[in-house]
Amino acid sequence: MSQRASKATLSRRGFLTAAGGAAAVSALTACGGAGGGGNGGSGGGGDSLKFWNMPWGGTEFNPSDKEITEAYEPADGLPPAVYQEIQWANFTQTFSSAVASNTGPAVSSGGGTQAFLFESQGKIAYADNLLESWKENGLYDDFLPGLIDTMKVEGGYAAIPYNLDMRVMWYNTTLLEQAGAELPTDWPSYLAAAEKLKAIDVYAFGVGAGSGSFTGSHIMTSFMINNGGGLFNADHEPDCVTDRNIEAMEFVLEMVAKGYVDPGSVTYTSDNVQTQWKDRRFGMGWDGAGLASNVGGDVAAELAVNSPLTGPNGDQGALHFPNNIMMYTNTPSQEGSEAFLTYYYQNMASLWTEHTGIGLPPLKSIADTPEFQSDANAVKIIDEWQPISKTWAAPGSEALFLGVTDVDGTPAMSTFTQTVLSGAATAEEALTTLQQALEG
Amino acid sequence: MSTETIARSLRRARSGVGVAGSGRPPDARPRRLWTPRTITMAALVLPSIILVLLLNAYPVLYAGVQSIRDGDLISAGNIVGLANYESVLTDPVFWQAARFTLVFTLVGVFGSWAMGMSLALLLRRRVPAGGVFKVLLLLPWVVPVVVSATSWNWLVATPQSPLPILAEALGFGRVLFLANPLLAQITVCVFKVWISFPFMMMMMSAALASVDNNVYEAARVDGASGAQLLRTMTLPLTAKSTYISWILMTIFCVNDFPTVFLLTGGGPVNATQTLVVQAYRTVFLDFETGPGVAIAFLMTIVLVVISVVLYRRVRKVDIE
Repeated sequence: MSQRASKATLSRRGFLTAAGGAAAVSALTACGGAGGGGNGGSGGGGDSLKFWNMPWGGTEFNPSDKEITEAYEPADGLPPAVYQEIQWANFTQTFSSAVASNTGPAVSSGGGTQAFLFESQGKIAYADNLLESWKENGLYDDFLPGLIDTMKVEGGYAAIPYNLDMRVMWYNTTLLEQAGAELPTDWPSYLAAAEKLKAIDVYAFGVGAGSGSFTGSHIMTSFMINNGGGLFNADHEPDCVTDRNIEAMEFVLEMVAKGYVDPGSVTYTSDNVQTQWKDRRFGMGWDGAGLASNVGGDVAAELAVNSPLTGPNGDQGALHFPNNIMMYTNTPSQEGSEAFLTYYYQNMASLWTEHTGIGLPPLKSIADTPEFQSDANAVKIIDEWQPISKTWAAPGSEALFLGVTDVDGTPAMSTFTQTVLSGAATAEEALTTLQQALEG
Repeated sequence: MSTETIARSLRRARSGVGVAGSGRPPDARPRRLWTPRTITMAALVLPSIILVLLLNAYPVLYAGVQSIRDGDLISAGNIVGLANYESVLTDPVFWQAARFTLVFTLVGVFGSWAMGMSLALLLRRRVPAGGVFKVLLLLPWVVPVVVSATSWNWLVATPQSPLPILAEALGFGRVLFLANPLLAQITVCVFKVWISFPFMMMMMSAALASVDNNVYEAARVDGASGAQLLRTMTLPLTAKSTYISWILMTIFCVNDFPTVFLLTGGGPVNATQTLVVQAYRTVFLDFETGPGVAIAFLMTIVLVVISVVLYRRVRKVDIE
């Protein structure tokens, strides 16, 4: 659910999800495990190979994506690809029911942790052979550093990185200048800049943790990672109550106590957050790579990405979400799935060069294109933030695993974040409650 | 004839005893259950019964099974007995949600009823453009809740929203309608009353329309005041509609997902989380089907009990 945070489409999706949720809960009595799965349908729906992709960008994204898919000409004996757009509204239910009944896709994108959920159910076809073949055609080496490793689980590679969702620090150049504040480089200088912004009635820790907005919990985790901490140990077990995490959350609580955090952040939706940026009430804050384009208007030109902060112990780090594409065991041809993905990755550059609104690219060759290089903020994120970013699995491991679904957009994380942002508990108390929730 | 006498007579009549008599009626004979006629009739209604069972009973039974399993959205999981119910009932978050659901429902039912009844009484009088008023007053009920929740969010969410600006101008300082737990609860309840009162207004308008005006005229001639009219005439005469509207609104409130989820998502820190929101989050965000369905089941049981109690009141009103 990492991708839920900050794209323009997300607020719409939030509403759709919620509206769908109303019906879903009314029908709770009929929900639940599919319990068997049945047999029959294939990921190809017969002789073709189903590719399900999400609306990752603006309105032009899926038509472009469909065009790429339909231009695929399979080798003799391999199935052609059929494109289907899947809406974010209730996507978990959409995929779960389709996969459980063997009527799902052969290849799909989806939620950031979806592959690991289905991998644990034995529904994922590992990408090891595909990645091995990509070592010969240059695709493997084209991925940004460390990305492919985030997909490796015990059985193999559960998915392939597709687009990056990053959490970075933004600031308003005009407001910082007006406040006479220096760009922060570490936590003490962040506090100093926040003090100056407060003097002009502007908040320095702009973030939202309200309904459907998970950015707040992402940023809490980012600060833990920035301090060498995180939520899981090397055994993939929740390990929240650590000195580094307590220190990080104490820093956030200090920001709250000093009035550098908008008290409304606790229940701000993504729209509310963008309104605060637009109204120049946020001078600094944390969001995804698409913040400036989502805010739009005159303010967009004033927004810039800051360099990563250095924590009190000399660490750098942030949370990122390598959204991915996965292959399913239910396919008309595994060879066909791999052949299609090879074609797709070799031809998907236009999704970025034509600015369809998709997240950051996973391939260096795309990041090097003149079209991408024209966006200074995006370039800065790829150059400075991507190399230091880690997944939910930090600090114990690089690769994602099933257990991260316990923290990705879950009520436990929302409650924890709201507790910290409202200053309702000490750092240790909040982390202890989170630990208990994750263990329970 | 007193109410008690009437009720006793009705009970006797139902059991086949004459109003003034005692014992079995003289022509009472044991009836055969399975006659060709009853078999034919049973055969004719059987498809409908099967359909109803498939539509209603099967999902409930299936969900009942889910509530005693430890499955998720993909797999059915293993049977764990009543462990899901135990974990739900020992979770403080569940009881917090239950408390707020109770408050939300009480305020939603009685707040919207009071407002709806008041407006129904007001609109009973002939006022210029009364029809236009009625249509305008219906808007909160007619507008999709997604739209009205968005509007309310715009009204209250940020310090630059209209209501916080108004509150500040009136000297209340910077009011955080959604970020402060108590204010968020109040805001959600007020929002619920706002979107629900038109329904109550319509129900009570219909009930009032069925009351003969001559009754009021007679009472006025006897010197009854407005308050006396309301207490001794209007409320008893509309009691049946009132109880039915309470039953319906109780069900609407307990099952109301979008109002809370769209406005606050259950926050801050679970302050506005209702049971239905908790059930949704448990199933679709935590992927824990068993406890989520267990919560839904517990809600259903409580709703059935409340509905039965209120329905008995309706029947009592019928008899009286």
